[in-house]
Amino acid sequence: MLREEELKTFVDGTTRYFEVAAQQPATIGSPYLLEGEPAMHDYTGIISISGKREGVVYFTAPRAMLTVLLMKMQENDFSHESMRDLVGEVANTISGNARRDFGHDFVISVPSVLTGDKPDIPHKPGARSFVIPINWRSHSAKLVVSLT
Amino acid sequence: MQLSGTDRNRRFLAAGAAVAVVTVMALVLIVGFRLATRIRASVAALQTTSVLQTYPAVISQQLAALRGQLDTLEYTGRVHGELAATIANFNKDFATIERRHDLDPAAIQRAQTLWQSYQPVLAPVLAFSGEPYDDTDTGSSLSPGGRVYYDQVRRAAIFAAENATVLHQQLASLSGSLQKRTSAAAARLRTLLFVGVLTVLALAMAALYLQLARGRHERAARDAQEQTRDILKTVREGFFLLDADYRIGSVWSEALTRLFGRSDFAGLDFEELLRDKVSPETLATAVKYIKLLWGERARENLMKSINPLGQLEVSMDNGRGGKETRYLQFDFHRVMGPKGVKHVLCAVGDITSNVLLARELQEAQENAHSQLDMMVGMLHADPLQVSTFLDSASAGLKHVNTILKEPARTDAEFRKKLAGLSRELHSIKGEASALNLMSIAQRVHHLEDMVGELKGKSELTGNDFLPVVLKLDELLAHLRGVREMTARLVTLKDGSPEPGATLSVPQLRIVSAEQPAAASSTERPTRAAGDLGTMLQQLAAKLAQDHGKRITLTLSGLGEVPEAYLSTVKDCVIQMLRNAAVHGIEPSDARRATAKPEAGEVRVDFHRSEKGYELVFQDDGAGLSPETLKQAAVRKNILTGEEAAALDNRAALALIFRPGFSTRDEVSMDAGRGVGMDVVARAVYALGGKIGVSTNPGRFTRFKIALPEASQAPAVA
Repeated sequence: MLREEELKTFVDGTTRYFEVAAQQPATIGSPYLLEGEPAMHDYTGIISISGKREGVVYFTAPRAMLTVLLMKMQENDFSHESMRDLVGEVANTISGNARRDFGHDFVISVPSVLTGDKPDIPHKPGARSFVIPINWRSHSAKLVVSLT
Repeated sequence: MQLSGTDRNRRFLAAGAAVAVVTVMALVLIVGFRLATRIRASVAALQTTSVLQTYPAVISQQLAALRGQLDTLEYTGRVHGELAATIANFNKDFATIERRHDLDPAAIQRAQTLWQSYQPVLAPVLAFSGEPYDDTDTGSSLSPGGRVYYDQVRRAAIFAAENATVLHQQLASLSGSLQKRTSAAAARLRTLLFVGVLTVLALAMAALYLQLARGRHERAARDAQEQTRDILKTVREGFFLLDADYRIGSVWSEALTRLFGRSDFAGLDFEELLRDKVSPETLATAVKYIKLLWGERARENLMKSINPLGQLEVSMDNGRGGKETRYLQFDFHRVMGPKGVKHVLCAVGDITSNVLLARELQEAQENAHSQLDMMVGMLHADPLQVSTFLDSASAGLKHVNTILKEPARTDAEFRKKLAGLSRELHSIKGEASALNLMSIAQRVHHLEDMVGELKGKSELTGNDFLPVVLKLDELLAHLRGVREMTARLVTLKDGSPEPGATLSVPQLRIVSAEQPAAASSTERPTRAAGDLGTMLQQLAAKLAQDHGKRITLTLSGLGEVPEAYLSTVKDCVIQMLRNAAVHGIEPSDARRATAKPEAGEVRVDFHRSEKGYELVFQDDGAGLSPETLKQAAVRKNILTGEEAAALDNRAALALIFRPGFSTRDEVSMDAGRGVGMDVVARAVYALGGKIGVSTNPGRFTRFKIALPEASQAPAVA
């Protein structure tokens, strides 16, 4: 069973990115269990985890949210590539936070980026998926932690 | 302690020996100086007496020479002058001898007397000052004065010749006496120097011995210190001493540095050590405890038993820039001194792995127990009932997840979820308890506790719901396990040689007096209604056992419950039955005292009415007291004192349908959360029904639920 501290590490990694990159912290909504197919947004940054836990952790955000985030970061390039880079960076921050807190217990992959609302997310059998809404300004993204 | 005392004694002895050496040397020097001074004076006096001894002969010679010169009429002035000088010198030297106190006064007196006897003959000689000769052309001759002078010289020469030896001997005896005294003083000085040197040598040797011993001891102390350092370096626990100001001493084990990630412990306040690592409440408790340790009357064993830091959860830097939770064990021992508690020795150990292992073990044990309980529970329950419950529980938990899923950003939006969560969980728990599936009931109860705690928080955020969703996940996993086990049991039962045998025991035990009549009536109860009756009987039996009461449950008409109402009726009766068992039915003793039958009677009657159906639930317990209800409402901050006072009895009874109302202050599996009758009322209202309560204190409580025709009931999710 996933522990609260582990879940918090991923959540803190995500909210911290907003705090550092946009000087405006994100808050989290009410977490829930994923039932059926995940509701994906336009861009998804994903890391795979093996070792003590196995599965994936991903951050999926709508284009509108990423656009405002880029604007807040004084960026002028709102291209598809910029959006991909941005969710990749968030995934990278989550990964860094996990490495910091879990050390060698977790083997964490290099982040990859998926696009579209129906990307192929690898699912580990037996892993329950926790969905944590990430609210920033008027936008909402999702952090999904799917680990055994 | 002993070591340091010996060390101090040695140091005192070495210092004493050094002082003794200095004192002895000073004494030797002072006495020696005095003796030397005396010897020097004696030697000077000896020289003087030696010179004095020569004077009688010299005076005699000079007088003889003066007489000869007078005989030959030679010039006498020079010899006369020399004689006068000799006599003056004698007087001067003799006076020096006279002043000495270490000479025999009688001997001096005798010499003095002898010398005094010289004066009558010498004085006229010395007094002569004229010309002794008269010079004429024929030659020189003694003048008259010269003749007198000649006679005086002759007489003096004779006297001196006669007495010179005696005076010389007398003066020689003085010299001999002085010599003896000087020799004696020199011998004393020699002895003194000898003894002094010996003493100094002895003392120096003693000091050397002590110094060597001290050196040996210091080497031993250094070895001991090194060993202590090695121990402190190697030991896995963090050791340090606290002084009376609760500050850490100057020595600590290296493990402490590793445990706390710092090394500036010297003089650090104990409170500072734990600040930012534990909650303020824990910190305050820990500080209070430390203060208690300094109390003379506090017993160590008792103090150990109330140690609040026996297993302390702390948040520490993990060395990679992050934080991690660790468990530390603080052990305290008082170090007693002559004046009471001198220090408190603290031993800190990292018991994280032990705690986690114990937790895993406990979880494994709990899982094993709960699985066993679950199996036992399921053996006594109808698998179909369990399966129905699992369906409804899964649906309920799905609804819980749906409530969680509703978007929320503000405190109010988060808070809105809590009431729905409580109601849903309470229903599931009620059903699980009724089926004696305690492993599920306990888990739901735990989840309810979490939700209850959230209600008490001043501001809610999404973070507060993280443990709830984790617990929900765990509960769902448990339900899956139960479902799998149920399937296996069904397979087992189906495969048994006598399929009815396993089920017959619980069925025989749980059938109520009313059920055979109902079963034999023309109403033909559905299987579900039969299940409900069985389940309620089981629940009544369990509640009676749990609360130490006797309950007789009489059911009638449950076969008439329309399928659409079955779930609601079940939830309502379960809740009312639990309320009756906890609040209504009195213990047997109390019932005997009021001439009631020992077993409390609960009647549930479902029947058709003019406008649909009516469910009557009645117990012959203590009834409801409007005043008690009002007091509970004030205590739970549902009403103010004034509002409560203004309520009439009817309105006071209606309080039981208020959300959050309970007369119990402590939460248990069966009561205390204040969501029970609230759930019942909501469920009845949702079906378009009504609920009413009447009571006669000491006699009964009766709930009447009116429900519309099933076809008229609004669709309920």
